[in-house]
Amino acid sequence: NNMGTSLAQQCRALHTSQWRRGLEAFFDETPNWGEPTVKSGAPWTAKQLRTKSSEDLHKLWYVLLKEKNMLLTVEQEAKRQRVQMPSPERLTKFIIKGSLFQIERSMKRLDTIVQERENALRLLQTGQERGRPGTWRKDFFGRTFWYRFKEYPIPWYLNRRYKRKRFFTLKYVDSFIRRRIESHLHNTILKKKADLENKRKLQEKFSKLSATT
Amino acid sequence: MRLTALLAMAARVKVPPDYRYGTSRPWTVGAQRMNPPGKKRRKVFVEPIQPEDWSLFKGDTVEVLAGKDSGKQGKISQVIRARNWVILEGLNTHYRYIGKSGEYRGTYIASESPLLVREVALVDPSDRKPTQVEWRFTEEGERVRVSLRSGRILPKPVVQRRDGIVPEQWKDGPKDTSPDDALEKTYSASLKTFEEEIAGATGVVETRAGRRTFWY
Repeated sequence: NNMGTSLAQQCRALHTSQWRRGLEAFFDETPNWGEPTVKSGAPWTAKQLRTKSSEDLHKLWYVLLKEKNMLLTVEQEAKRQRVQMPSPERLTKFIIKGSLFQIERSMKRLDTIVQERENALRLLQTGQERGRPGTWRKDFFGRTFWYRFKEYPIPWYLNRRYKRKRFFTLKYVDSFIRRRIESHLHNTILKKKADLENKRKLQEKFSKLSATT
Repeated sequence: MRLTALLAMAARVKVPPDYRYGTSRPWTVGAQRMNPPGKKRRKVFVEPIQPEDWSLFKGDTVEVLAGKDSGKQGKISQVIRARNWVILEGLNTHYRYIGKSGEYRGTYIASESPLLVREVALVDPSDRKPTQVEWRFTEEGERVRVSLRSGRILPKPVVQRRDGIVPEQWKDGPKDTSPDDALEKTYSASLKTFEEEIAGATGVVETRAGRRTFWY
């Protein structure tokens, strides 16, 4: 049992009082130390989280955060002792669909639901689709992109670094823009042709099959 | 789980759109050796079957209609949707050596090769003969597979979860939330933002007005 001989355990033998208040949250429960697997339940689903009030979600976030810190401590300790971390799927989920942490997955879903509620309220009260202001701008290379605003304490005409940014295109870039548009159109046509060709080949191969059966 | 297998699966593998799927799954070491990132292979045409029309699941009993083991019935052990493949347990096998090293020739094993979905047919449990299957709705509104010859419903096979957990026999641990608590509804719609609701619940009163900021 390598965990049992960690520094904390050794210190505990010296101090007969309780652990330093609060630090025990970073470690798993004592019966689980040294176990090769620790069973854990399924992560929270978005559907379950949607039925919870804001206070519940707020409390749950911190519960999940503390659990995540505990698992990360366990992972780090396992790396230090050069052994396999017990039940790594609590932290990482090995399914084809994604490799997000099981705990982090719950936290991400929680965040999504809070965002959904904020979006709905904002749309209702202001009609704004985005929470953060922005606008379409052209950069120095003639590309149009969505520029997201940043919050500054000084106005733009006093901001030297902002004034150095160039949101305009000069005339000599026109030929490059034209070439880019041409290339984009060409690629669209190629893709369309490839799709048609693909469809034709599938038709040829598989309608022949269904004709014979 | 072995550490090497763990590491191989840990990173989410991004497959290119013209990836050729084989019997090894894309995140395994063997598949990564066969299909390294720059490799382009001749395109293989796969019959387009809509996801709602797919009727073969892992654990189903099917009969082979074509190939070496035609006429035999077997259980599906793996389904590879990308190539319309099913791999049956112990059927359509070829033999090979595995674990060869140095002078040792390895173990001689039978390895199954995949069959296309058109080459297999689901077996009707009432008369144990191959049938064509259609998706229909029951009186309750449930979507089920119905055998066209006898009209019997083919239930979806119950497969054990990969982590070995049986949901009916699960006992909650100390850190797990009970089903009642998890499903309990505490949300009530209100016109307050998340922050305002928390501030109201915890009694936080913000009297400071922020300094003037500029957005650009």
